[in-house]
Amino acid sequence: MDLALNLLGLLTPVLIIHAFAIPIAKIVGSRKLQYALALSASLFGVLSTTMVLDKVYREGPIIYLYGGWPPHFGIVYEVDSLNALIGLLTAWIMLAIVVYSYWYRHHLDDPTWYYTLLIGLETGIIGCLYTGDAFNLFVMIEVLSISAYGLVAYHRDRAEAIEAAAKYALIGAVATTFYFTAVVLLYAGYGSVNMGVLAYATRPWLLFSSPLARVPDTLKYLSLLSIALSLWVFTYKSALFPNHFWLPDAHPEAPTPVSAALSGLVVNVGVYATARFLYTIFGENSALGEYRSIVMFALFLLGVVSGFIGALMMMKQDDIKRLLAYSTISHMGIAYMGISAGFLTGNDTAVKYAVAGGVIHVVAHSIAKSMLFMASGVFIDAAGSRNLDDIKGVGRHYPLASASMILGFLSLAGFIPLIGFYSKRYIAQGYLNAGSALVPVLLIAISALSLPGYLKVVSAVLFSTGGKQTGLIKEKWIEYLLFGMTLSLIALGVVFQYTWSIYESASNALVNGYNVYLERTLENIPPDLKGFIYNELIRAYAGVKP
Amino acid sequence: MDAEFINTYLLLVTLTSLLANAIISIYGLFFKPHYTKKVIALTILSDTMNTFAIYLGYRTWVNGVNPRPPVLTSTPTEKSISEFTARAVDPLPQALVLTAVVIGLAVTLFLVFLGYILYTHYKTLDMREIKKLKG
Repeated sequence: MDLALNLLGLLTPVLIIHAFAIPIAKIVGSRKLQYALALSASLFGVLSTTMVLDKVYREGPIIYLYGGWPPHFGIVYEVDSLNALIGLLTAWIMLAIVVYSYWYRHHLDDPTWYYTLLIGLETGIIGCLYTGDAFNLFVMIEVLSISAYGLVAYHRDRAEAIEAAAKYALIGAVATTFYFTAVVLLYAGYGSVNMGVLAYATRPWLLFSSPLARVPDTLKYLSLLSIALSLWVFTYKSALFPNHFWLPDAHPEAPTPVSAALSGLVVNVGVYATARFLYTIFGENSALGEYRSIVMFALFLLGVVSGFIGALMMMKQDDIKRLLAYSTISHMGIAYMGISAGFLTGNDTAVKYAVAGGVIHVVAHSIAKSMLFMASGVFIDAAGSRNLDDIKGVGRHYPLASASMILGFLSLAGFIPLIGFYSKRYIAQGYLNAGSALVPVLLIAISALSLPGYLKVVSAVLFSTGGKQTGLIKEKWIEYLLFGMTLSLIALGVVFQYTWSIYESASNALVNGYNVYLERTLENIPPDLKGFIYNELIRAYAGVKP
Repeated sequence: MDAEFINTYLLLVTLTSLLANAIISIYGLFFKPHYTKKVIALTILSDTMNTFAIYLGYRTWVNGVNPRPPVLTSTPTEKSISEFTARAVDPLPQALVLTAVVIGLAVTLFLVFLGYILYTHYKTLDMREIKKLKG
């Protein structure tokens, strides 16, 4: 009996059972019961992800076999230090969002389906993060997407919300269809959909234990095609530049706690899945060959472009939530700049630092952005409008929420000693290590360009007067939640020296961790089946002399 | 004409029509202004991709041995299993497609319902006009 391992396997089923128990609780007719179910689901998420993280940091990657089927034959959940970290982040922020939703309840006319979809969203995100199976990733992306579409369209009496959801859902469904094709292509090429087995199959020098093993051209092009198709859905989910068009519409139109979940958590899934595909499955010297560097460099360029576009578009927004949504695009661009450092082949230190910076940026951005959306919800409630002109001076009545907002913006802008500083520092350090002074300059330029946008909100909420205050909010306890999240931003920055090893091992899990990842997969396959799988895998390289 | 030639010919026709289908549906998705037509194009696209998955798992005729559905009907013996693996088509893409079809059904249903609410708000489903109203 291993508690953490069993909790890993139980997590998504228990969450989805909670999600579907909430409509049943409606029959009993108690709203308190529905809220208690949502809270217990998110508490269970926090407990499980924390224990999983603890075990992963003590013992290395862990793997859960669903139904006892060995990898390649059944679905597995495989957690290493990277997805353990992002999973923990997701569960804790989701807990804050569920608590915030209780405060937000006067906007939710019927909370039944709201909580069902919200817990469904958490299931989808955690499933996407923990799964070790490329096809299960498709299923979990669909779970996440359907919940997200439904939540964006939640205020169905608002035409804009429905329009934003239609735009988001239509193109999102196309993107996930392409991801399905990508998985089928991977299966056709390599004969497996398990990520660990795929990581083994895409490295011919491992498979034939000879550095001279060559990759047939057809396999290379097939890998490139499937990477191209799957990157479309990943960049769509994380709103990287050409695929960012849906985000400024969808995030503001959703209910505020959902905006926090979408902007803080859902976008991380895309970054994580991109990293998993381009480092663990198609790492250096894999079947993707020289195209890997090209794909990574393209992602880097798109990251720079979306960093600038988000920062520039932020300046001309009048809607506080829309402004924050553009800031999300800008910060996802920065995270991609860090994650895509893999094109610096041969310089492992540089890649390690830049990827660590990307991971820290995901953490820093998630906490800050979800907190900022929640704080904006307080001001919007007080002013009765999302327009910055109406919010003028509203923040003076809510000192804690205003302080949280300022500190959140400072963290996003990268001020010391908040955690947001360290993420940009490590991305810059990685590229400096590789001899590029241009990237740090670009980072500083993006940060500088986003400052006017942040200042616009701060000056409107705090330093001007003349807004239309419609009434004071009675339940001020929500400010403590916001301030608590802000304190975590400061605390993570202050203790950064001592927690660096966590981010370092998450970065190592990507850059050098594929061997541990695939060994953990292979050692769970019974010895008498190994030969069978091996013969299946080398069929992809048929006709190639090792 | 021998059976093997007809088999290859038919598979080629299938592949060509799948490609044509994919191109037409992507065109419909991005260039047709009407919401319902976009949803129809999406279902065509996902059906195309599902058929493509089945196609990849298909086994062509080899030396007159025709493919079989991947079902063992009798008590397995060593001989029947080796014959089965030589003739049966790959069942895994079919399982993947089954999952994708069910998910696609749910997504399409959601999109159609969204279209209904969109219509009650805007009194039209022409996406060009819906964009204008946003302002």
